Amino acid sequence: MGELNQSEASPWALIAPALVLLAAILLLSVPLRLFQGVVPTPILPLAVVFLYGLYDPRSLPAPVVFAGGLLHDLLYGGPIGPWASVYLLGLVLISGQRTYFAGRVRDVVWAGFWVVLLVSMIVLWAEMSLLTGAWLPILPAAGQFAVTGLLYPLCAYAFFALRARAGVREEWQV
Amino acid sequence: MTSLGYAKRDGLRRREERRYGLIFLTALSFFMVLFSLYGAQASVFEKARESVLDTFAPVLSVVGAPVRWTEARVGDVQDYFRIKAENERLREENAELRTWMHEALTLRSQLAYYETILDTHLPAPAAYVDAAVIGENGGPYQQALILSAGRDDGVRKGSAVVDDEGLLGRIVTAGRGASRVLLLTDYESRTPVFVEGVGAEALLAGRAGGLPVLQFFAEPPADPIEVGTRVVTSGAGGLLPRGIPVGAVAARPDGTLGVALYADLGKADLVRVVDYAFPQEVEEPAAETTISASEVASLGG
Repeated sequence: MGELNQSEASPWALIAPALVLLAAILLLSVPLRLFQGVVPTPILPLAVVFLYGLYDPRSLPAPVVFAGGLLHDLLYGGPIGPWASVYLLGLVLISGQRTYFAGRVRDVVWAGFWVVLLVSMIVLWAEMSLLTGAWLPILPAAGQFAVTGLLYPLCAYAFFALRARAGVREEWQV
Repeated sequence: MTSLGYAKRDGLRRREERRYGLIFLTALSFFMVLFSLYGAQASVFEKARESVLDTFAPVLSVVGAPVRWTEARVGDVQDYFRIKAENERLREENAELRTWMHEALTLRSQLAYYETILDTHLPAPAAYVDAAVIGENGGPYQQALILSAGRDDGVRKGSAVVDDEGLLGRIVTAGRGASRVLLLTDYESRTPVFVEGVGAEALLAGRAGGLPVLQFFAEPPADPIEVGTRVVTSGAGGLLPRGIPVGAVAARPDGTLGVALYADLGKADLVRVVDYAFPQEVEEPAAETTISASEVASLGG
């Protein structure tokens, strides 16, 4: 897969992934209220972590993802750790399957994202239930993760467009 | 050949290091979750939350500006199409409010009269701090809003936050220029309330999704609570003033009693933070005059 050449890349190309992750986290905190608040805000940081973790893991290293997760936790004002663990777990899952996904068609990669979403949702639900001391309903999380999964093609399109601007030539997977 | 071998080995070593780093950080984040079970409210985390809030509040304001502008334009267009119905509704509401205004003026003069004859001074009414909603938690479980006002504007931790309909929640983090409101629907939210009509005090406990539930302190009142009964803050604990409208009693799908909130949590954009302090200074009654020995003797008979 087309990884960015770290020694030749421009400074902008080097910090772009971290900025994209930061923007995605901030966007989650903006009151978008899609369709009068009926549609939950998609968890875009997970898509960012998935796409960079799959196509160019060196440009979004684990410490940056960890810092992004902590920022998310602090911005939400809740317990420290749940979102950091969810993002890093997503990165662990995808980094272990990179060779499998190499060169696969769009739908297979999309299916892989659904698997990452499912695992992340269960982990987040379990952690939040543990922290509140009660079994929380899983439906709110399921709705939000489903919206994220449906928006994956759009995220992937934006990701490859950004990478093309950074000068990375790769086969478009969407 | 040798240099190629070194390069390959070096690459593999770096790859292994990255992998170990990833596993270490994942384990660390899970450990932090466990630590949050006991130390989530530690002052160091609270300070970090305040700092993050203050740092990113201006960014959220800027990022959210186009969204607010679009929402306002969409609202304008919607208003244009329903202007006739809206006018009619406003006329009816205006007539009703005029009746209430006259009743309020009468009650105010009566209250002033009673204050005079009883020589009583009620505590000053609470002041308000206006704030805009610049952020919200987009996650499935934590339900909170981020406001554009903080400690410098007079916002304090624990203060009630209301919109024009009723109570939204209370301040849980107060930074210098921004603050966070825990909404009544959040699972961590517990608000002391008073059910009018039956005179029962209860806790309003948030549920992640669905109506917040009424938890009575003692036995539920003997009289049945009608659906639609008004619920207000009780003021118990001294954090919130008594009498802020919260909602109306409603039945939950599981058979328990919940509260349909007056405030529209999904549409709040301008809110007010209630600047309230529980009256601390209570006037001591005048010192009793000492009783003379002869009076004691006469009392003793």
